[in-house]
Amino acid sequence: MRALLAALLVAAPAAAACELPGGAAQKIQSRKYLVLYRTSPAPLKVGQHFSVEFAVCPSPESVRIDAQMPEHKHGMNYRPTVTATGEGRYKAEGLMLHMAGKWELVFEVRAKDAVERVVQTIRLE
Amino acid sequence: MKGVCLLLLLASATALAADFTDEEARKIQSHGPWPAPWSPDPSNRVSGNKSAIDLGERLFFERRLSSNGQISCSRCHLPERNWSDGLPRAVGLAEVDRNAPSVVNVRYHHWFGWDGAHDSLWAQSINPILDPRELGMSTASVAKFVRSDRDLACRYRRTFGAAPGGDDEKILVDAAKALAAFQETLVSGRTAFDDFRDALAHGDRAAMARYPDAAQRGLKIFLGKGACDVCHAGPAFTNGEFHDTGIPFFVRPGEVDPGRYGGIKKLLGDRTNLLGPYNDDPKRSTATGTRHVSLEHRNFGEFKVPSLRNLESSMPYMHNGSLASLREVVKHYSEISPDRLHSDGEAILKALHLTDGETADLVAFLQTLSDRGGRYQRHPFPEDCL
Repeated sequence: MRALLAALLVAAPAAAACELPGGAAQKIQSRKYLVLYRTSPAPLKVGQHFSVEFAVCPSPESVRIDAQMPEHKHGMNYRPTVTATGEGRYKAEGLMLHMAGKWELVFEVRAKDAVERVVQTIRLE
Repeated sequence: MKGVCLLLLLASATALAADFTDEEARKIQSHGPWPAPWSPDPSNRVSGNKSAIDLGERLFFERRLSSNGQISCSRCHLPERNWSDGLPRAVGLAEVDRNAPSVVNVRYHHWFGWDGAHDSLWAQSINPILDPRELGMSTASVAKFVRSDRDLACRYRRTFGAAPGGDDEKILVDAAKALAAFQETLVSGRTAFDDFRDALAHGDRAAMARYPDAAQRGLKIFLGKGACDVCHAGPAFTNGEFHDTGIPFFVRPGEVDPGRYGGIKKLLGDRTNLLGPYNDDPKRSTATGTRHVSLEHRNFGEFKVPSLRNLESSMPYMHNGSLASLREVVKHYSEISPDRLHSDGEAILKALHLTDGETADLVAFLQTLSDRGGRYQRHPFPEDCL
């Protein structure tokens, strides 16, 4: 019990530090990482460029963002850029989901030569 | 008894040939409203400007804007043919490799041309002026013409606030911006589909029932079995992007049309793209696509998804005009072979295997996307500008 409490106490500051100021954010939890993100504009529309503000916790060495339609075997027609805005937060620009259907928004997080893909499924009508 | 009969009559009067699910109803709503909202193009300082529209309209029909003085933009974009020409491949001074796309509703596009080699309507408008197979002019000859014609020079000054100066390229780009301002005014009218879509939004079943039965069934195929709306999305029935649809891209023996692959290369090397010096918007707010477009091998053989509005009067179809009728287009998608698609292309298309009845219904639906008259009439040019 004491050990569990200690673990919670250690984990608590990291969880508290993971936030994305500026409004409501979507949350994706992978094995190692918590990603908070919001798109602009929201909701997403077919064929409309959008940007993504996001935070990754714990802070990685680098992160890339992409999107793909697994059923169609293709990605986007655009290559987004990611800019670090400090404190584990980022802004990605230049994304577009050009077809209706099931997309996967992929955050490719890299730290110490290990890459983890944090994936959110999006259904676009 | 009288009440029951009345109810039956009412039910019969508002019966629909097809029932639409909530998901289908949402999809139908996404194809409107029409006309869709629009705001002037920030990359073109004279977009929406009345004087520019007037100048652009004159230039559009101006035969002296060709190297032989015989043809104008309207050679391939005839108002009475939905601003196309009815030919498989356009013919200017010589035949080109692609079908002349209609310029109706171009104000809603974000890529221009079958290959999207241009990212603004004004940049696209330069292309046919300089192409030796189309109008065959040079930058210098356009500038000389605008400078030396008193009426045009006056209208240029009225539009841009200064007389055409010594910078030939600037005059060419400004002429193209006036041409764009005119083309932005060409918007198709409302259709039977738009009436149905709005009636559905208002729950007006009596108005919905006026939409032809075959078109209702065809609409269900368009949204369901056909999944046509995956690419033909939104109010203009296009996602504005590029796909390989299995149309052969050989233009001559041993020569292929690279489609979007060539378009992206051309775009990125073009001084008149939205990242270049002629974008009038200091924020480059419409340049996101140009900044982030990605050249991939799969772009080879991809062509732009055309709008389906007014398609009934814009035959023949596809980027090379190889399909003569709507029925042939539907048949193409019904029988498409995946082997004809580019090897590393998308896994989107598969043969629909439509029955004859389904084919007829889908064609009937597509026909309801054409407007009902209200055709363009060239504005009178009453006053001189001297």
